[in-house]
Amino acid sequence: MARYIGQRVLVALVLIWLVSTLVFMVLHLVPGDPAELLLASGNTAPDPQAVAQLRTEMGLDRPLMVQYASYLAGIVHGDFGVSLRDGTPVAQQLMLRLPRTLELVVAATLIASVLGIPLGTLAAIRGGGLADRLVSLLASLALSTPVFVVGTGLILLFAQKLGWISAGGYVPFAQDPLRHLALLLMPAGTIALSLWAIVVRMTRASVLEVLERDFVRTARAKGLGRRRILRRHVVRNAMVPVITVIGLQMGTLLGSTVLIEYVFNWPGLSGYLVSAVEARDYPEVVGIVLTISIVFVLINLIVDIAYAVLDPRVKLAA
Amino acid sequence: MTDRLNRRGFLAASLATGGLVLAAPGALRAATGGTLRFGLSAYPPSFDMWASTGTAAATVKLMIHRGLLGYDDKGQLTGELAESWDVDKDGVWTFKLRKATWHDGSPVTSADVKYSIEQMAAPDSTAYYRGQMGTITKIDTPDDLTVKLTTKAPTATIPVWFAHYNMPILKKGEPRTSTLGAGPFKFVKAERGQKISVTAYDKFYRQGEPKVKGIDAIVYSDENLRVAALEAGDVDIIEYVPWAAMDRIEKNGKLKLDTVPGPFMYLTFNGSKPPFDNPLVRQAVAIAIKRSDVVAAAFYGHGAPLNHLPIDKSSPYYNADLADSWKYDMQKAKDLLAKAGHPNGFSCTMLSTAQYGMHQQTAEVSQAYLSMIGINVKLDLPDWSTRVEKGNKGEYDIAVMGTAADSNDPDGLATVLDGSQGPSFNRSYKLPTPEITKLLQQGRETFDKDARKKIYHEMEAQVMKTVPAVFLCSRSQGYGLAENVAGFVNLPGQLTFYSGLTLSETALG
Repeated sequence: MARYIGQRVLVALVLIWLVSTLVFMVLHLVPGDPAELLLASGNTAPDPQAVAQLRTEMGLDRPLMVQYASYLAGIVHGDFGVSLRDGTPVAQQLMLRLPRTLELVVAATLIASVLGIPLGTLAAIRGGGLADRLVSLLASLALSTPVFVVGTGLILLFAQKLGWISAGGYVPFAQDPLRHLALLLMPAGTIALSLWAIVVRMTRASVLEVLERDFVRTARAKGLGRRRILRRHVVRNAMVPVITVIGLQMGTLLGSTVLIEYVFNWPGLSGYLVSAVEARDYPEVVGIVLTISIVFVLINLIVDIAYAVLDPRVKLAA
Repeated sequence: MTDRLNRRGFLAASLATGGLVLAAPGALRAATGGTLRFGLSAYPPSFDMWASTGTAAATVKLMIHRGLLGYDDKGQLTGELAESWDVDKDGVWTFKLRKATWHDGSPVTSADVKYSIEQMAAPDSTAYYRGQMGTITKIDTPDDLTVKLTTKAPTATIPVWFAHYNMPILKKGEPRTSTLGAGPFKFVKAERGQKISVTAYDKFYRQGEPKVKGIDAIVYSDENLRVAALEAGDVDIIEYVPWAAMDRIEKNGKLKLDTVPGPFMYLTFNGSKPPFDNPLVRQAVAIAIKRSDVVAAAFYGHGAPLNHLPIDKSSPYYNADLADSWKYDMQKAKDLLAKAGHPNGFSCTMLSTAQYGMHQQTAEVSQAYLSMIGINVKLDLPDWSTRVEKGNKGEYDIAVMGTAADSNDPDGLATVLDGSQGPSFNRSYKLPTPEITKLLQQGRETFDKDARKKIYHEMEAQVMKTVPAVFLCSRSQGYGLAENVAGFVNLPGQLTFYSGLTLSETALG
């Protein structure tokens, strides 16, 4: 297992280096000059000398390869550099924002799993029945409604019409736990909805398949109770593909919560990424993308290990 | 964990989650306590106080800082750190400072003013008015409260420059990003990307101001959420009300909408190559687009057609005789094109951006109208950052822009019109405007009001004839306010982005 993980980490490091180099190079190829953009923020024409001065301060007047080398040297030393816009250390912002996005993703995954796995199982054992058709209908509906529609709808209902809760925003947990959770509920719930649909469908398909297996028939034949068969044998065996999908979805969500963070004013990683890209804030963009790829790789590693825990037949062979 | 959940467990769990919301309404809303909550459209990209960093940044600057001059509610120049100002017959400007103090308690002196001007003009400056400050050749400070400015040439626009929100006076020795100001509010803290908090400065130079305990400036980048936050009572004021929401806010009894016609949309040209290097072609474009359709499509009717320079009717510089110079006339436009040697029209690319609806929709309407006179327009709609770079490099034939002038003085339009200022995305590319440049300079050097009026009348006539840009419409720039907010004023015309000046008079009823 240790050797397996070691190899995976090595591959991951190479991947991360490739990703960061690619992002660095592509970003510099895309038109848009950070110094010009910053000084033209009011749709005004900046003084060309002022722009030249700012370019020098940002270090953008150096050859690209020199910039790349100094950037890579920084990364190796764990230094993500500073924002071109206002000199804020990128690492500091990442430490602040990554947990918020992770919280959103984890909360959404929890909601989706807690509601999705039982309902998916229910739909499977009542295959073709009313419950099955109802759950499948709901899942189709949830899957086909874009997140910004759901998000905007929730804000319209709960903030604008009913006035129960703020229209988005963020309060640190330490400052006001109840308000923090309340503000988390809408964005997490919105993400959870489509994730839930995926979990339901996956669970249903997987449970249906396992129900057909010989060992289930054997279990029934030797007189085990329905409930016990379902818990011990069916659901546990059906979980492997479901966990894979959830893991992959979590990774994808990290970079794709943009719309949700935007709609709900949730100050996480992806909103940060968008503003950094718009301003062509190179160190920030690369830092964020790098962080997302590291977390993505980590989640995949955890999923692989989870297989082994769930299903002892899976050997973590190198 | 999962296999232990049955139907009953699931029901209990979902009820508990729902119950959290049901149990707690009201308590989950933010409380105010005399602090004004201002919904910003963006987080200031930097705290470089002298750089042009956008509308949201301007509002924050005006909470913390003050310049020598400012504007009152009617848009008239008024003293801020300077109590009075005057010019002698040699064109030397004298500013008399009032007894104001910095937020650390020390007095604001002429040395601070000198320092600020010198920093803005310095070689390592990133100031918006760097060039202008470079024309000041001598700064005398005969005493602590007097500043005398000598310029290369007599300059009538000095007061207007020193009233700009990108011209705050900073304390001597402070960096250009300093949040130590002499304005109505003291900087408390900034949560990057989210929120800036300021608190009332009790020794502000205007008695009885500011009227609120402090301001929380909260960033809502999404315009729809910004409106939702106002409607839900999360904020008291929002800037940049989206045009689609204006009617709704107006109809809401608990909210107020304050709009002024100010910022404007226009077309710029690439003057370095055919066909738009030909003034006849530009004239044809100027009269080929029906302005009311731009207003309807891009601004939901919240704007006004513009067939002339963006100078408001209320301005002393408004020229009624030129107001309809670019009246829509498709036949005449076709004739002009034929005269220019394009009887069958031509093809070209129009640069705009898909990032902002108003830019894209203005482009689409223009495209449709130009096709009617035989100009086949291909739209290029990259993201805003790319659009800026392409504009600066002249990688287009014709482009859509939107901005506000620096002030209500006609000289505030120089940045849009003056072709001698070098390439920029917000004016035409390499389009020489020798007469306009000359008249703008004359206007700057002329102190007599009537003589200035004549100069700018002539300049507008030149613009109508040579068409360095095609003005399409002005748009309503709006602030949304809760009904209990008093004293906040959307300053008239091009000054709308200076409205943060009135935050010192703003009260919560």
